[in-house]
Amino acid sequence: MDLCRRLVLALAALSAWATPVAAQRPLTVQGVRSLTFGTLLAGVNKSVLRTDAINGGQFDISGPSRASVLLTFTLPASMAGPGGATLPLSFGSKDGGWSPPQQIGTQTGFDPRAPFTAPLDQNGKVSAYLGGTAQPTANQRAGSYTGTITLTVVVLP
Amino acid sequence: MQPSLALVALVAGLVSSAAAQSNSGSITATAQVQQPINVLGAVNLSFGNVFPGVNKAVLLTDAGAGRFDVTGQASTPVNLAFTSLPTNLANGGNNLPVAFSSGYNTANSAAGATSFAPGSGASTSLSGTGALFVFLGGTVTPAVNQAAGTYTGTVTLQVTY
Repeated sequence: MDLCRRLVLALAALSAWATPVAAQRPLTVQGVRSLTFGTLLAGVNKSVLRTDAINGGQFDISGPSRASVLLTFTLPASMAGPGGATLPLSFGSKDGGWSPPQQIGTQTGFDPRAPFTAPLDQNGKVSAYLGGTAQPTANQRAGSYTGTITLTVVVLP
Repeated sequence: MQPSLALVALVAGLVSSAAAQSNSGSITATAQVQQPINVLGAVNLSFGNVFPGVNKAVLLTDAGAGRFDVTGQASTPVNLAFTSLPTNLANGGNNLPVAFSSGYNTANSAAGATSFAPGSGASTSLSGTGALFVFLGGTVTPAVNQAAGTYTGTVTLQVTY
């Protein structure tokens, strides 16, 4: 009987402890806009700014209100093209940015090559942006090139 | 004792779940690399034999007309500019005045070419297969005392996207 009573009390305590966790908004990461370099000429580099509202990459993140999140990009060194051809990509120390949702003009820049901590707003939202540079070689094969950029987000305790 | 152990395991599971909330999303990076432009001086402009004091013209449709063959990205706009367009053909220190005419066509046919002023250049588009032909004609005006000899000059066409 004593054992049962202790178990009930423990479960009650556990329930009280678990409630805040269950109430948190689930973390979601949505790739909203691709990083688009458009038409390139062989041997001519082309950069896209993270503030480019048409061609810059964008992710929308949603999670617990006012939480801090760790943003980690997985950045490809190149894009893949026709016949196994590759097109080099590079990302600079200011090519990453974050802002409150849908406020691309008020970004805070960061280096996307390293993990970075950003805050979610009171609604649990933040947007992350990405620019970069495509570096076609002088004898770059003509055709379409694509690559995948992944953003992993972790809610910090 | 067994219920307590089960409880500890349950609590540990919840703690682990709360600390490891993570997710990921992806976008693509895309680019389209255009075919490089190649310009080939395919046929020289040749006035043949000329006589002192007698002008001689070569029309775009004449056999002596010059031709540049251009290849590049299909259906893409390009700008044509002659970066070297001499006013004289030369033979040592002797000059033979020359003026040029030009036209372009996506088919290798001077008859259907669109004329343009060589000094002004032109803007057009490559064909659906990425081809363009630029034809060159001209007129030489030898003086009445033009020195005999072979006169030459170089015409250079630059094509850019």
